[in-house]
Amino acid sequence: MRLFVELATRAFKRALRYRAAALAGLATNFFFGLLNASILVALLGERSNVAGFDAQGVITYTGVSQALIAYLSMFGSYELMTSVYTGEVASDLLKPMHLLRYYLAQDFGHACAQFLLRGITIMAIYELMFDMVYPQGVFAWLALLVALLFAWGISFVWRFLVNLSSFWSPNAKGFGRLAFLSATFFSGMLMPLDFFPDWVQRICYFTPFPSMLYTVSSIYLNRITPEQMLQALVMQVVWIFVLVGVCQWVLTRGVRRLVIVGG
Amino acid sequence: MTSKYLVYLTHNLQVYRRLVGVQLRSQLAYRGQFALDTLSTFVVTGLEFASLALVFSRFEQIQGWTLAEVAFLYGLVEMAFGIMDLVFAGFDPHVFGDRVRLGSFDQMLLRPINLTVQVFGSDLTLRRLGKITVGVGIFSYALSNATIVWSVPKLLYVVVTGVSLILFFGALFIAGATITFWTVNSVEALNIFTYGGSYMMSYPMHIYQTWLRRFFTFIVPAAFLNYYPALYVLDKPDPFNLPRVMQFVAPGVGIAMFLLALMFWRYGISKYQSTGT
Repeated sequence: MRLFVELATRAFKRALRYRAAALAGLATNFFFGLLNASILVALLGERSNVAGFDAQGVITYTGVSQALIAYLSMFGSYELMTSVYTGEVASDLLKPMHLLRYYLAQDFGHACAQFLLRGITIMAIYELMFDMVYPQGVFAWLALLVALLFAWGISFVWRFLVNLSSFWSPNAKGFGRLAFLSATFFSGMLMPLDFFPDWVQRICYFTPFPSMLYTVSSIYLNRITPEQMLQALVMQVVWIFVLVGVCQWVLTRGVRRLVIVGG
Repeated sequence: MTSKYLVYLTHNLQVYRRLVGVQLRSQLAYRGQFALDTLSTFVVTGLEFASLALVFSRFEQIQGWTLAEVAFLYGLVEMAFGIMDLVFAGFDPHVFGDRVRLGSFDQMLLRPINLTVQVFGSDLTLRRLGKITVGVGIFSYALSNATIVWSVPKLLYVVVTGVSLILFFGALFIAGATITFWTVNSVEALNIFTYGGSYMMSYPMHIYQTWLRRFFTFIVPAAFLNYYPALYVLDKPDPFNLPRVMQFVAPGVGIAMFLLALMFWRYGISKYQSTGT
């Protein structure tokens, strides 16, 4: 545990050091959020409510989505595959810590820093510019906090799994790009899932991605009842267990066939 | 005098062909990677448009524009940006910023070949064909589903607009690359102009807030490169009542932006100081 905290703290401090990059990222998030909000408000047009969203709701939804991008690394992360390709993974594997936990600790620190730098700040900027919706009641706030933590958990294990493809393929980067960016569609980042036709929604819910992003925004926007919130949290836990299981299975096989070329 | 220019031009073209040839061969040498990259560009671009098309079954129109009409803007932007990204890849601020930071731009300065030609020839990202293909698909959907009263001038003007858009996006890349001479790194904020700009131009300008619309009409003249031409081709009324001639200034704006960017690029080179790496 001490090792975990130490690794996480270091990753946290490292991420905090890139303030100029965070500022640029914030500007980009805000601009894209603004465009998405304009598009959704224009789609709503005269209608006051579509699938439980009003203008205030869609604007808040774009804010929450943009605030989560950096925290959940929605566009992916490539650390493990880089480590595999450079051969550093050999020393990662020698560490007195399971590979998954070693990366988990660092990703946690990184995510916490992004949550502060680009999550809270985006919401603050939105608050200054727009009239926003908030979670109603203590239970919703608690559910939100837990959902945020689990969402990061799913995101981490999913990204780790994609990175494991580098044990087999020299093209893991291209594969990763495809996997990560496709996930944005199923997670509800491009459009609120409830706006899609039913059959598309059903496909989306076969994947872990709605549990990553859409669950958080549904709780934030008070779109679901307390019972549904609990169900959504349980669903998140199920996905974490499934993904961790798959990860372990793949990792064992990957490590067995790993060959490091010395140098 | 003219023949001297001609020799210079053909020489540069030959150099460009060689440089690009090297790039193509190296990209096609890794067939698996090329196929995967092209596929992922295709899928990602496709899913973005699909997410819009799918919600249209619920909304049917966006501020008076049908999906086919939006697809006209959207497809034109995807095609033009994709082609620009393919040809101007050497100027991609992210790639070029690395070049400046790591010092490989200094190597280019040492070669007795035109610098701009070298940067043009330094990259040609074939995987953008994935994006261009989706753009062609979206644009074909627009042409076959939107009610357009075709005429020869309209047809010609669509082609002219497409070329102007490519020049406009190219100007953004060249200007972005030039900025990295000073900033060296941190080009993230430029994404707002390149990717943000093209994303914004994929939708009719009248859905945006006034200040945003004014900015992209009068400061960065993006609106003249596809929204106003689209009003002409689709016979839509102009909600802002600008003079009708504004629907036809796309080539002028495109060429002017491109020349301005080239001048900025020249200025940047003359002021360039190496990072010493």
